[in-house]
Amino acid sequence: MGAGMDIGILRRDGRTDPFFDGTAADRLMIKRCEACDRWFAPDAGSCPGCGDEELAWAEAAGDAVLVTWTVTHSRPDGDGNAPPPAYLALVELTEGPWLHARLDGADTAVLREGLPLRATFEHPAEGEAYVLFRPV
Amino acid sequence: MVDGASIVGLGMTELGRVYGRSPRRLAADAVRLAVADAGLALGDVDGLLVSHGMGGSPGIELADTLGLRDLRLLAKMEAFGATAGAMVSYAAMSVLSGTASTVVCVFADAPLKPEQSAGSAYHRNAPAGSGVAPGKAEWYGFGGMTAALGFRSVNAFYALAAQRHMARYGTTSEQLGAIAVSTRAWAARNPLAQMREPITLADHQSSRWVAEPLHLLDCCLVSNGAIAVAVTTAERARDLAQPPVHVWGWGQGHPGHRKERGSEFGLTTGAVTSGPIAMKMAGVTVDDIDVCQLYDCYTYTVLVSLEDYGFCAKGEGGAFAASGALGPGGALPTNTGGGQLSAYYMWGMTPLSEAVIQARGHGGERQADKHDVVLVSGNGGILDHHSTLIVSPHPKGI
Repeated sequence: MGAGMDIGILRRDGRTDPFFDGTAADRLMIKRCEACDRWFAPDAGSCPGCGDEELAWAEAAGDAVLVTWTVTHSRPDGDGNAPPPAYLALVELTEGPWLHARLDGADTAVLREGLPLRATFEHPAEGEAYVLFRPV
Repeated sequence: MVDGASIVGLGMTELGRVYGRSPRRLAADAVRLAVADAGLALGDVDGLLVSHGMGGSPGIELADTLGLRDLRLLAKMEAFGATAGAMVSYAAMSVLSGTASTVVCVFADAPLKPEQSAGSAYHRNAPAGSGVAPGKAEWYGFGGMTAALGFRSVNAFYALAAQRHMARYGTTSEQLGAIAVSTRAWAARNPLAQMREPITLADHQSSRWVAEPLHLLDCCLVSNGAIAVAVTTAERARDLAQPPVHVWGWGQGHPGHRKERGSEFGLTTGAVTSGPIAMKMAGVTVDDIDVCQLYDCYTYTVLVSLEDYGFCAKGEGGAFAASGALGPGGALPTNTGGGQLSAYYMWGMTPLSEAVIQARGHGGERQADKHDVVLVSGNGGILDHHSTLIVSPHPKGI
């Protein structure tokens, strides 16, 4: 389905290089506070436990479960073309953090709380690689 | 020691597709209207609390715009959709403590542009701007990736919340639709409402999907305009132009649901905290509430707020909404002006303004018969911030 998912071109912003180095190598990199033994989403700025603003990057297993989901529908453009509906979700990584994620290979008939998911990686011809989650 | 705080003035500019005035100008106009409504002069104002919407303006420079001098209280406040309630509570505490005697609270926003859809006002575009073919738009960093993947509008985030409630408690789209229908029935009776054509549940169900499980008719309007209220002591309120609306209680709740394992995101709101605080201060319980003005950025927000206030048990908000209690003739008249869904979207000033109108008994065709105790909610972020006010036409304790 990745080929049909035209999300645009992703560029680095200088703050999340380890994340995109990770997606390029099919690895999901998230933030971690070693001192507090807590995991955070890749955009976390600091640890609320100790205040550390220099959180480490660490590899997540890539396993998750579905928390909740939505299917978004864009309005057609002037030519009547609308992009296909997008299956968006909150997913809970095995390590604990939730990610706002897009599902691949999803169908509303199978979606439920706790549905096991696995990170997959898309490598577009231009721009950075990105992560999607597929039902296992 | 003074005996209470009262809302004595209400100022509302034209609301909706109102163009040609900046948010600062709209705010100044609303302040002047509120002061005049109270039978006061601008020179009587010695406190000003300012809040803004998406545009980032106005701030405290509004005092200079209005030529206000020798203010004893001046601040910009920000708690998103909970700001109106927070401003009124700060104004009440200020007049009760003697910090200031007459405090005006104002909100203004003008996110709508001519020839632009309402939805686009709250939609995130790629930094390269519009006009770029979808596949060629460039997005930066992790946040850019999330937006590129489809999280470009607040609609998607509230849809995630509503879907979680549905999965957990069996809430249905038809139950959300009942709120859209009852709110529109009220709007039909409100000359200030932008959308006054009655709708049916079938209309709700056939309105286009925005973000499942939310249809278009589950989502609020977008409006330009400004609303202000003037607050003074209950003692002073007796001699002014309008029937006083006494502020009996206030509270806030900021649950801090983190996006991680164990979070109650989508299931509970800050009303769990702010409601009991405000009702205890007011000396009332949910059984005493005659009219509700609930922040209704989405139908779902109303449903979950009703549960968290205790008007029904957790998980039973859908059945409660579908019972007909909220509409004209129902047991708990709710969003009697048409709310943000059908009347006008002025963040927390939408429920507050209609609460003032109802408490005064100025609701005309939509006036609730019994309006002795009115509950007002505010909701900000994605169910992150909450405020509650309890107001009444009667002095507190009587």
